[in-house]
Amino acid sequence: MPRKPNISRQTRALLATFLDRSQIWRHGYDLSKETGLRSGTLYPLLMRLSEQGLLEARWEEAARPGLPPRHVYRLTARGLALAHEQEREAVLGDRAGAIA
Amino acid sequence: MNAAPSRWRRLAGLLVQHASWVWPGAGPWAEAMRHELDYIEDDGAALRWAMGGLLASYRTRLVDLLCLSTPAAFRYVGVGSVLVLAIGSALMGQASGQPLRPVFDETVCNLPGVSPDIAPRLHCGTIRVPRNYDDPAEGQFKLAVVVVKSAQQPALPDPVVYISGGPGSPLTIYADQQARTLYAAGRDVILVDQRGTGRSEPKLCPDLDRAFLDAAVAVATDPSGDPLAKRRAVYAACRAEALAHGFDLKDFGTRVTVADFEWVRRALGIDRWNVYGISYGTTVAMTLVALHPDTVRAAVLDSLYPPDPRPMFSANVADALAAFFRYCSGDQACAAGYPDLAATYRETLSGLAGAPLVVTVPPEVHVPDDRVSLTSTLFEVLVGQLIYYPSAYPSLPRLIVSVHDRDTRGLGKVLASAAMAAEANRSTYIAVECRDRPHYRDPLSPGASLLDRLQLYGFCNDWSKIGPAPLVPIRTAVPTLVLAGEFDPVTRPSQSRHVAATIGPKARWVEFPRMGHNVSTPRASNGRAFSPCGAKIAADFIDNPAQSLDTSCADRGALIRFLPK
Repeated sequence: MPRKPNISRQTRALLATFLDRSQIWRHGYDLSKETGLRSGTLYPLLMRLSEQGLLEARWEEAARPGLPPRHVYRLTARGLALAHEQEREAVLGDRAGAIA
Repeated sequence: MNAAPSRWRRLAGLLVQHASWVWPGAGPWAEAMRHELDYIEDDGAALRWAMGGLLASYRTRLVDLLCLSTPAAFRYVGVGSVLVLAIGSALMGQASGQPLRPVFDETVCNLPGVSPDIAPRLHCGTIRVPRNYDDPAEGQFKLAVVVVKSAQQPALPDPVVYISGGPGSPLTIYADQQARTLYAAGRDVILVDQRGTGRSEPKLCPDLDRAFLDAAVAVATDPSGDPLAKRRAVYAACRAEALAHGFDLKDFGTRVTVADFEWVRRALGIDRWNVYGISYGTTVAMTLVALHPDTVRAAVLDSLYPPDPRPMFSANVADALAAFFRYCSGDQACAAGYPDLAATYRETLSGLAGAPLVVTVPPEVHVPDDRVSLTSTLFEVLVGQLIYYPSAYPSLPRLIVSVHDRDTRGLGKVLASAAMAAEANRSTYIAVECRDRPHYRDPLSPGASLLDRLQLYGFCNDWSKIGPAPLVPIRTAVPTLVLAGEFDPVTRPSQSRHVAATIGPKARWVEFPRMGHNVSTPRASNGRAFSPCGAKIAADFIDNPAQSLDTSCADRGALIRFLPK
């Protein structure tokens, strides 16, 4: 059974970004720009999420001739569930902060 | 035809290739990183991308390295050292010789007053722009940029870039209010502190902020002195300080600011955006539309600030006040409480000219003994300020009558709020206006109104050479909405209507009765528009610039509820 993912701040940011447009296959560089994660942080996270069955990946043909195919990613159903769970916890955390 | 890859691009390719060698378990992931390089337009970003991959590969292999035989470890360390040296020299070369590219460097948001519900929608960062687009060797300025993600996702294409006024007004610190506005429903909003404003570089005269306020207060407290001489000394000191810091005063002006916005657009990867200017921001917006029409889907110009030639400020204020007094005489409550307000105002000015009123002001104004001498000219300046804002209209007649009757109760607070309201960066204001406006090179006649003497007339020859002029997008194909306030003292409705006619058939002009200088834009205090109707019309227009607009709510806006005597 895959181990429970380590929900670091970077992982939460990545999951939230996937959640923004959950049906769309996303490219690595776009994810890096949106999350602010550098490639050296982003790819190990993507690999880990994929190993844990939270992320699916496939190759996508280039839109223009002369360019290489791109690796694209989106959350699996389990990944989506985790992302929603994280989002809910973040909202509850915000509320707690507001009450305090 | 594809251009040959630059040496930086080639180096990035080598680094990623090396990363996949060091990181054999990465398989398709390392391949994916390598392929992404071809989709990164900017060489610097490609190099950073490759270095990230390289560092990750070495990090992942660190444990393995500890278990390797000594020769193998030396081999890894040796190759790694060579690469680090290559990268170091490459980056140094980039810093000294590579042209700057438009890149958004995202950072942590550190903005005041952002509520938890808005914070997740804000993406803050900086974009470095050339100080001089014709000479990159002059260096760079870092601009503060905030992308406010739409609450509705996925967002509609074509975000809105909001362009603040002044010149010199900060913007990004109001990200929370901007995130709550309706004018960009469903769209992301781009906020930029223009060069020299807010959190952007440069700070032209950081040590003279206080001196600018003191010079203004000196005018108020010493009516017998020569305010021009005092101000001239402060401006000269600011200019000397800016030059001492190595700034070139030709690196300012609307045309440079427009180049900055174009640079920001490219850095954010935006093909087309909607431009939304307020006050001086309309000067930037119009010039942007004129120079880069293909990048603009629609333009909103709220409370136009037209290029020269334009009337003297005192003439516009007098015209705005005359309109306000006419409105008062036609309003039952105002006419009953304040009959012939125009005459009362004239009498008040002549009364103050003969005998100024001494007014006690709060300590935060920092004047000796907390007292200000209210002269007729200072009162003109104060009323000229109040006519900007509809929130001041209900109490304006009562204020005039109080001063007429030499009753100073509550006046100190009004003066203090007017003095403290000037948050625009004064040195940036001078730097931009002196490049833009030829008429500030003309000397004033000796008997000119203080309202005009407080402008930059006669100052700019000593500041910088005139720069390229701001533009009006004549006969543009870009749909343009022009919003005008009935009592706007900066640009009278007839003047903005004339500019709209000059722009051509794609421009629509809407006047808002009982509004001033700011119709649709959010207030700093609560984020609400001065005119909800103006905000709705702007939102409808951005939503579909081609549709015919229902502007009937403009005439149904709330009446002024004048305070009784």
